[in-house]
Amino acid sequence: MNYDMNKDTPKIKTNEHQKSKDNFEQKAVIRLNNVTKSFGENHVLNGFNLVLYEGENLVVMGKSGSGKSVMIKCLVGLMAPDSGYIEVMGKEISTLDRQTLDELRSDIGFLFQGSALYDSMTVRENLEFPMRRHRDKLGIVKDTTPLVLEALENVGLAHTMNLMPDELSGGMKRRVALARTLILKPKIILYDEPTSGLDPITAKEIIELMRSIQKKYGTSSLIITHDVDCARVISERMVLLVDGINYAEGTYSELSASTDPKVEAFFKK
Amino acid sequence: MAESIPSVFEISKILGRLKQFFIQIGELSFFARRFFKELFSVPFEFKELLRQCYQMGNRSLMLVGMTGFIIGLVLTLQSRPTMIQFGAVSMMPNMVGISIVREIGPVITALICAGRIASGIGAELGSMRVTEQIDAMEVSGTNPFKYLVVTRILATTLMIPILIVFGDLIALLGSALVENLKGQVSFQLYFNTVFDALSFGDLIPATIKSFFFGFVIGLVGCFKGYYCKKGTVGVGISANTAVVMASLLLFIVDFIAVFVSDIFYEL
Amino acid sequence: MANTKLENLRLGIFVVLGTILLLIAAYLIGNRQNMFSKTFEITAVFKNATGLQNGNNVRFSGINVGTVNGIEMINDTTIQVRMVIQDNMRNHIKKNAIASIGTNGLVGSMLINIIPGEGISSKISPGDQLLSSNKIGTQDMMSTLSITNENAALLTADLLKISKTLTNGQGTLGRLLNDTIMANDLHKTIINLKNTSYKANATITNLNDIVGQFNFKESTADVLLNDTLSGRRIKNVIQNLETTSSEIDQMSKNLNLIIAEINDGQGAISYLAKDSLFVNQLERSMQNIEQGTERFNENMEALKHNFLTRGYFRKLEKQEKKLNKL
Repeated sequence: MNYDMNKDTPKIKTNEHQKSKDNFEQKAVIRLNNVTKSFGENHVLNGFNLVLYEGENLVVMGKSGSGKSVMIKCLVGLMAPDSGYIEVMGKEISTLDRQTLDELRSDIGFLFQGSALYDSMTVRENLEFPMRRHRDKLGIVKDTTPLVLEALENVGLAHTMNLMPDELSGGMKRRVALARTLILKPKIILYDEPTSGLDPITAKEIIELMRSIQKKYGTSSLIITHDVDCARVISERMVLLVDGINYAEGTYSELSASTDPKVEAFFKK
Repeated sequence: MAESIPSVFEISKILGRLKQFFIQIGELSFFARRFFKELFSVPFEFKELLRQCYQMGNRSLMLVGMTGFIIGLVLTLQSRPTMIQFGAVSMMPNMVGISIVREIGPVITALICAGRIASGIGAELGSMRVTEQIDAMEVSGTNPFKYLVVTRILATTLMIPILIVFGDLIALLGSALVENLKGQVSFQLYFNTVFDALSFGDLIPATIKSFFFGFVIGLVGCFKGYYCKKGTVGVGISANTAVVMASLLLFIVDFIAVFVSDIFYEL
Repeated sequence: MANTKLENLRLGIFVVLGTILLLIAAYLIGNRQNMFSKTFEITAVFKNATGLQNGNNVRFSGINVGTVNGIEMINDTTIQVRMVIQDNMRNHIKKNAIASIGTNGLVGSMLINIIPGEGISSKISPGDQLLSSNKIGTQDMMSTLSITNENAALLTADLLKISKTLTNGQGTLGRLLNDTIMANDLHKTIINLKNTSYKANATITNLNDIVGQFNFKESTADVLLNDTLSGRRIKNVIQNLETTSSEIDQMSKNLNLIIAEINDGQGAISYLAKDSLFVNQLERSMQNIEQGTERFNENMEALKHNFLTRGYFRKLEKQEKKLNKL
């Protein structure tokens, strides 16, 4: 039934990315092929396909509980898919041993939904934490202060260095979390609901930050959200995740003009 | 027919509970196995271990000391009249000393620590799990099991025995105080009598036992916290069940320890 | 950073202190089991180990000097106990010392007591076997005590019977005790006897004085000095008097004792209660004593009127009168 629907939709499908890759001569940094994942009777991912090209901002939209977070966690090996193929920067996740996986992870930044700052550490220690195991990547670092300061300045919070996370507001926490994500200078950043739980103004600030960082470091970004405004501002390309598959694919303007009822449901106010 | 339906339902409920219990035990065993596997793999999170040791050891000392003191006081006050009835009041230090060192000191201290430390670990790791801090650690290249679980279990395993030593000493001091005030027994005589009554058969099994107590407290706390269910309710449940399960396991371990030491020491 | 350092310092103190405490406890316990001091081993053989255990104390003259470290059954009546003794006790324990099993208090743990033997003996050396005495243990003591108790119960029953018969005035002692007249008589007699013997004593001293004066100083008695016959007679009288009075004295003392015993109701009671013969004898001797005193009084009276001593007695009376007048 799903396949029937796919045929009806204008922009879609598994073979599509092959074409676009050739067109733009872009390198794929993330590639998901026919990934399935289910929790008991609940089939969250049902043959999901996705490609993220180097330097692009891709937004994956879906309803709550549609499996966006599960998908993104499968990408960094926090969860293992039931079946399917996941490749990040040319390496298949499921075949990697712990050490190689950790090395690979240092190239992927992950901004968690609730910021996920370590409550028991200061902002500075929070930022230093990812460096504990990835010293080699940055060379021998004796003094971490300049690195921490640089990351905090990127998000405009250099003065909070010695505060504890619970002394910060929600928006500040999110920005510190972003700074932490950036400290290892990742090539790919995965954003899990970057604007959730924030007021619209703060959300806009965060989105602006994301864009400026993307410009500054030339990272590829995979953004998961259900926030249409966020998607409109930041997306270069969008994928709609419905019923466990990549239901529709295209730019914001293309998808918002779609007449498919399931696609329309996303853009309805 | 009408009666047989609820009874069948009851049985299946009990069987379900039983199944759940064995699943828990099994998961806990796997968790313990993973602990030992990761314990001996590099890198070693020494700084975090020290921090946890401080949090669990020094920070619990006050609580353990106060409980120990009161237990020593109360135990002596309560058993004095009976001993006087038997005309064996001069045996008070022997009795209190042996019961504190062998059983009461370790068990009370461990239970207090199960309340303070196991629930603390359960809640802390639980909330870290819920707010994805554990995932964040994993992603930033630090093995959260090593960083959070191994250090905490190791810290409790090392700190609880020391806390028990302090608890025992303070309990004996409390007992000696009562004997000193009520029975005119000098502190020197009290401790002379206590150490006269004690043998290695009392001290060594109690010390070995206390390491297992520490291990159980850390293991259960971490297990419950690490596999916390989503949501704030999950954190509460983690903290709660950590205390209940740790206390229960403490008594089981205590029973096994007494049983085994009985065989070894033929006492 | 400084905060972490302080924490680590505190943690270090905590850990080191805890470990030291544990080690001290272990040392104190081990010290009492003589694990850390130089020791030597001796043995003793007992018939019954009465609950002795490894680790029980060994005391020499009441001081803890070692511990039991092995109990072996050699045959059905022989148990060998090995003891570890502190090395510095080697000079004090001799080969003839005696070991026995005892308890520390009535309900305390078992221990071995070593008591120095009598006589001179050489110092003990490692591996020696001590002599042992199978002293009664608490249990034996208890069984003995219970037998004693039974005996005591029987005895009390007997005593009860005796005292009943006594109060009922049956038997001779009963009569003796219940007969108040006789008791009074007895009392009076004894008082008389006392007085008499005092007087007799006084008289005898006086007589001695007189005789002395006869022999050496008084010229008025010169006549008598040559009259050896009279002198001898007087001497005889005096000697008789002396023996009589000493006998009376002795008798009254005996009587006093008897009375005291009767009054206390101790000792001789059971003897007396059954020996009616003694009571008869007592009665007879009372009569004899009474007669004896009467006679003695007569003698004394006669002495007063004797021509030789009359003057002396008069002098005494005069002196008394003078004293009274003054």
